Amino acid sequence: MADKNQGNIKIDIELCTGCRRCAEVCPVDAIEGNDGSSQSINIDKCVMCGQCIQICSAYASVFEEYPTSREKKLLERNLPETLTEPLFAAYSIGDLPKVKEALANSAKFTMVQCAPAVRVSIAEEFGMPLGSLVPGKLAAALRQLGFNKIYDTNFAADLTIMEEGSELVQRITEGGTLPMFTSCCPAWVKFVEREYPELIPHLSSCKSPQQMAGTMFKTYGAEKDSIEPENIFSIAIMPCTCKKFEAERPEMNTSGYQDVDAVLTVRELAYLIKEVGIDFNSLLESSFDKPLSMYSGAGHLFCATGGVMEAAIRTAYEMITEEPISDVNIQYVRGGQGIRRGVVKAGDLKVKTVVVSGLKNVVPILEEIKQGDADFHFMEVMTCPVGCVSGGGQPKMLLPKDNDISFKNRISSTYRHYEDQIYRKSHENPEIKAIYQKFLGEPLGQKSHHLLHTEYTPRREGK
Amino acid sequence: MNAFILGNPEKCIGCKACEIACSVAHLDISVVKANEMNIPFISRLNLVRTSAATMPVQCRQCEDAPCANVCSVGAIVHKDNCNIVLEEKCIGCKECMLACPFGMLEMQPKSAQGEMEFQAGLKVESINGEQQKAYVVMQKCDLCTGRAEGPACIEVCPANAFVIVNSEFIRRNLNQKRISSAQEIAKCRYIRNS
Amino acid sequence: MGIQLNSFVLADPKKCIGCKVCEVACAVAHRSEELKTVGNMDVPIMPRLYLVRIADVTMPIQCRHCEDAPCANICPVSAITQIDNKIIINEEKCIGCKSCMIACPFGAIELAAAYKEGRPILQNLLTLNSEDEFIHKQSAVASKCDLCIDRSNGPACIEACPRQALSYENVKMEKKRRNAEIVSKTGATIKNFMV
Repeated sequence: MADKNQGNIKIDIELCTGCRRCAEVCPVDAIEGNDGSSQSINIDKCVMCGQCIQICSAYASVFEEYPTSREKKLLERNLPETLTEPLFAAYSIGDLPKVKEALANSAKFTMVQCAPAVRVSIAEEFGMPLGSLVPGKLAAALRQLGFNKIYDTNFAADLTIMEEGSELVQRITEGGTLPMFTSCCPAWVKFVEREYPELIPHLSSCKSPQQMAGTMFKTYGAEKDSIEPENIFSIAIMPCTCKKFEAERPEMNTSGYQDVDAVLTVRELAYLIKEVGIDFNSLLESSFDKPLSMYSGAGHLFCATGGVMEAAIRTAYEMITEEPISDVNIQYVRGGQGIRRGVVKAGDLKVKTVVVSGLKNVVPILEEIKQGDADFHFMEVMTCPVGCVSGGGQPKMLLPKDNDISFKNRISSTYRHYEDQIYRKSHENPEIKAIYQKFLGEPLGQKSHHLLHTEYTPRREGK
Repeated sequence: MNAFILGNPEKCIGCKACEIACSVAHLDISVVKANEMNIPFISRLNLVRTSAATMPVQCRQCEDAPCANVCSVGAIVHKDNCNIVLEEKCIGCKECMLACPFGMLEMQPKSAQGEMEFQAGLKVESINGEQQKAYVVMQKCDLCTGRAEGPACIEVCPANAFVIVNSEFIRRNLNQKRISSAQEIAKCRYIRNS
Repeated sequence: MGIQLNSFVLADPKKCIGCKVCEVACAVAHRSEELKTVGNMDVPIMPRLYLVRIADVTMPIQCRHCEDAPCANICPVSAITQIDNKIIINEEKCIGCKSCMIACPFGAIELAAAYKEGRPILQNLLTLNSEDEFIHKQSAVASKCDLCIDRSNGPACIEACPRQALSYENVKMEKKRRNAEIVSKTGATIKNFMV
């Protein structure tokens, strides 16, 4: 499916006015066209981050007539026909029909996961203040929608840290390819595959939390509920438009079944909740289902820039030194758009790290690596401005000037929620310990390697 | 968006052909028969002369029609981008006449096949004794709905003094005005100093 | 001193990129409740300024707040008046006859379906002609720039424009500025030709 790669980000030529504000935010210069004319997307370059969708203000006016009716546009975009919100030129193709079909099919057992960034943004679509923290209402809404199991990507984020932390330690101590890159951002992965295929060995072989969760649903989760994996329909609620692309990568089926069958953005989930008529704001809080939902604060941090690094450092430090880290809060990795470098001392080892937020910022560092000038061990890259909280599938601000305040509020809710968790380190999560004991064996072991790791595809000849 | 017919005072020559065409168009019998029966002309538009202008006036088919919103029996309803009168519902209370800010409405005797329709109960008493009273109902421009050739007034006008203002006309009109305004501003070198 | 002239918002076609943020900001500013995300925009965006895109010009057009406003002078129900140096449509009084739309030489007035807090405003008695049920017709009224009369920060379009292409035109001040400029220039060079 991914090989077809038609891209899920589109620009409606009937609505585009050619202001090219999308081209200003596109990190890969994939938007092509003259000023004042309709733009098109170069799908080979596009990393499907959806930032163009977030900035676009060329809406369909009721005072104008377009060759294609609103009804037809809704259909083309896979949006509900009851949708009342305005349509804009830049959009992503939705997946609601697939999910509705699975929910209506009694032969399918639906398992849904929610990315960490969803709980700090979805309430915005129901008029609550920007960045409202609503994990309980989110779980309640998913339950009312009729999903059979409500699991959490945060659990898989902890699992990712176990594998990725171990991989980092192994590469450092046993002389693997360094620096190692995080691999949880699918837009970043696609960027490396196309623009820097010669650097693919630097990418961690770990699947992203979304894909790890999907794998566990159809193996461990299937066993727990005595469900045949082929009857499981696995859905991911994501702040990201590129996660749809990642889910469709053909190699993401190491369990024998496609890890994730459908991805909904936060906006799409809100459409579904509204269409069904659920009054989100008055929902009584519910909780996620055991066992694939317990998470540490570290796992939750994945949605903000620096969060994967912070979680990985805590676990890697303790793996290397076998002592508890003195301060779990690693302030230097936190922040906004740009590059943050630092060093962590773990025993005799000095682990040098780089955190990059905003894909454009990574280019000089990749050039540095190609020149052989890189002296660091580990780099976290997130494509969107301040990480997944600012993703292309998040609620779209009517006025782009509100983006900054929404990012700020979502990040502050993220850290508040992190503070609320009992466990601060992924390896201390009891359900993570249990899953290795009962099912996976050990990190980087045969089973975990087979199920939780992947390979990458060069998308053009190395430069 | 409702459509309406607008007269152009620059072009109107005041010939009243529109009034005649209107009454003929709303007859349910032939003109010849109407003439034989001595039926008066009843036009739904009026030619008005003032010192400033001469032009025919007729219903503007307001979106939020005050006539309809004051009618206590629901006799004025919206249909096919036009406000129409359901004559069988009208009781002749005349509130609509007072409500219309343009003075476009008129009360006329109701007739069918050239015959007045008389009321069963209400009689007129006078020195001549008791007489039957015809129904008197509100009549106004209905854009000649159902007439294949379209509005009769537009068709007959020798001076081409009518336009039909519908959503296409308005869209074109607004766009043209906006474009020429934008062009004028863009051309003027001094309108912007900063 | 003379009379105080009505100010208005004017776009600079040299700066405008045609992004329509001004139109969205206009619609958002005229909602009674504060809306932040697109998902909360439950009624169509009905702006009061309109982007014009032709071959060599891109700019929004909006009301000039004419001193002798033709729209107000043609209105049969006196729904358009001057308030605080702004030409304002009283939507309660408007009957949707569209005379003002035809009268305005700029095309600055639209007919907008009326909503309140996301719900259509229905007419009291005017119904759609239907055999089996009474369906009240949604109200539709003339709508145009009111210079964000109820907004403390002034016009939302000016604030939202990413290219600062919109500005508040105070023509009297601009006239004074230009007068002063030409006097300064003349004063500086006059000795060269008034020998």
